Amino acid sequence: MASAPLKAQLTDLLNSMFAMDFLDEQFKELQMLEEASGPGFLAEVVTLFCGDAERIISQLSVLINEPVVDFGKVDANVHQLKGSSSSVGAKRVALVCVKFRNVCQENDKEGCIAALHEIRHEFDELHKKFQTMLQLEQQIQVLDSK
Amino acid sequence: MASSQVVKVLIVDDDVVTRRIYRTMLLRFGFEITEAGDGKSAVSQFLIGNEYDLILMDNDMPGMNGVEATRTLRGMGILAKIIAITADANSRGALLDAGADEFLLKPVNFTMLTVILKAFNFLN
Repeated sequence: MASAPLKAQLTDLLNSMFAMDFLDEQFKELQMLEEASGPGFLAEVVTLFCGDAERIISQLSVLINEPVVDFGKVDANVHQLKGSSSSVGAKRVALVCVKFRNVCQENDKEGCIAALHEIRHEFDELHKKFQTMLQLEQQIQVLDSK
Repeated sequence: MASSQVVKVLIVDDDVVTRRIYRTMLLRFGFEITEAGDGKSAVSQFLIGNEYDLILMDNDMPGMNGVEATRTLRGMGILAKIIAITADANSRGALLDAGADEFLLKPVNFTMLTVILKAFNFLN
């Protein structure tokens, strides 16, 4: 089958994402849901998550760079990002959110700046892998439908 | 139950990703799904006359949280089953005291949700 090498590549990618804690068991839950619901669900959820995360991270950057930081608003945004990242199984992003909330609750601006930098890094790494995953899935679908 | 054979569910959560996941979980059972992004919107659904058999209620939401929304709905005489779903285990007591029927910790998995739906007789 023409898609076999791509399927192997996708399997390797996902295995490495689990091994490196980019993803956790919750993502497997979503994979099971897709198997039952049909293709497209995972792509939609991942795309929704990435768009939402990007929006929140941008908002956090604005909030933290205010002359007087509203730590309440920062915390609320980080809480939201933690929620959505936990829901999709984005383990490393969720963990950094926990650290971020801790420094936020201490009203530690420098700590928040460092945590934001870390979240940006973790999300960017995850986003790149998700994009590769979605591209591979799309290519596999095209080949399998021929 | 609401006056139809289809189970009507209201998903209340401020996170669009979480709502999408619950929607997919519940559509597998053929349920009819409505979404609300916060407690006030959830209460408004009932104020405009909509009926639901089941509510999945997040707690930490802007404006009216899950505890307040649950308390308000029970005060209105709403008898729908309410499953409180939140990441904060410490809010369990407050949610159950407010009138929630069951409590789940996020992230929810499909098996856990199915067990509760069966216990509530929403599944044949």
